[in-house]
Amino acid sequence: MMTDRPCPSLWELFSTFLILGIQSFGGGSSTFILIHQTSVNRGWLSEEEFVRDYALSQIAPGVNLLKLTILIGNRLRGRSGLIVSLLGLLLPSAAVTAVMTAGFSAIRSQPVVQAAMKGILPATIGLSLAMGIQMAAPLLSGANKEGPFRLGANIVIVLLAAILMAFTNISPVLVLLMAGAATVPLLALVPIQTKQPLKGDAG
Amino acid sequence: MNPVLFLWLFLKASLFSTGGLSNLPFLHTDLIGLGWAKENDFVTAIAVGQVSPGPSGLWSVSLGYLIYGWLGAGLATIALSLPPLLVLAVSAFYNRMETQPLVRDFTHGLALGVVSLTLIVSFQLAGSTIFDWRGVAIALGALALALNKRVPIILILALAALAGYLFYGL
Repeated sequence: MMTDRPCPSLWELFSTFLILGIQSFGGGSSTFILIHQTSVNRGWLSEEEFVRDYALSQIAPGVNLLKLTILIGNRLRGRSGLIVSLLGLLLPSAAVTAVMTAGFSAIRSQPVVQAAMKGILPATIGLSLAMGIQMAAPLLSGANKEGPFRLGANIVIVLLAAILMAFTNISPVLVLLMAGAATVPLLALVPIQTKQPLKGDAG
Repeated sequence: MNPVLFLWLFLKASLFSTGGLSNLPFLHTDLIGLGWAKENDFVTAIAVGQVSPGPSGLWSVSLGYLIYGWLGAGLATIALSLPPLLVLAVSAFYNRMETQPLVRDFTHGLALGVVSLTLIVSFQLAGSTIFDWRGVAIALGALALALNKRVPIILILALAALAGYLFYGL
């Protein structure tokens, strides 16, 4: 645990996730990006912790963003933190979803809304690519410090997993587990080369 | 309609899926089979889920509303919020094993796979959301703004909505 982690009040957690939940129009990608930006910018989580929590979210059942929210709330304020974070994210956005369902045909036929959505949806692609780059940065720069072969091994894993996801019907969860399983022997085979000489014995 | 069975069907779908639309096959089979939902309900619910705020998994709240009103939306929300709590067990297990190099390397690989997943899903979604050079321009503009972490996401989405209106609405 980092000792300098800010400790937000339960009310701050609840209101943050509430605002984040209702302002993230355009579906899950914008919600995900908002959770990422908010929690990293406020120092609630490091980039590495965020990626790790999201990776763990992938291997449990249910909606990924709810699992991510549970882990972040739990990290910051324990059981009560996870409950207020989850309620803050879920209740208002579920209510808005139900209301929008009721008024959907009226909204959908509005040309202004249609045109605005045609702008918002491509933007979520750009946001999602930016998030992939931001998540990759600490992993790859960490590997780079361990030498060019380690960096290469990391890039090979990313590329192989991407190829499997893009060109086969293997479930993404299975590909993630395969990436984890392949990384263990690969990193064992590729030695760490530190650039600076190790702290030597005195004398 | 039996509310307990309703809750169970939604709970089961959430328990055996990992988000997004992966609970769709379960709900589709069960609810169409019982005659509780029509194909059109699914199409509407998925469309609302794409547009409405919050995780896209909330499309099943929309479905619950369509077939059982506010009670259905409430039950669907409860069904969505319970199974994710199991992630705490996964996380607790991981924290106990974290110091093992084997477990550390394994989660490092998982994290690398998450990067691949994010990039691949972006490209796959691009196929159904970007149709011309204007869409490409909006996506690249959003990418550039988002890489500067100080620009609020809501501002990027608002600019994108405005660009959509200027490009396609006039």
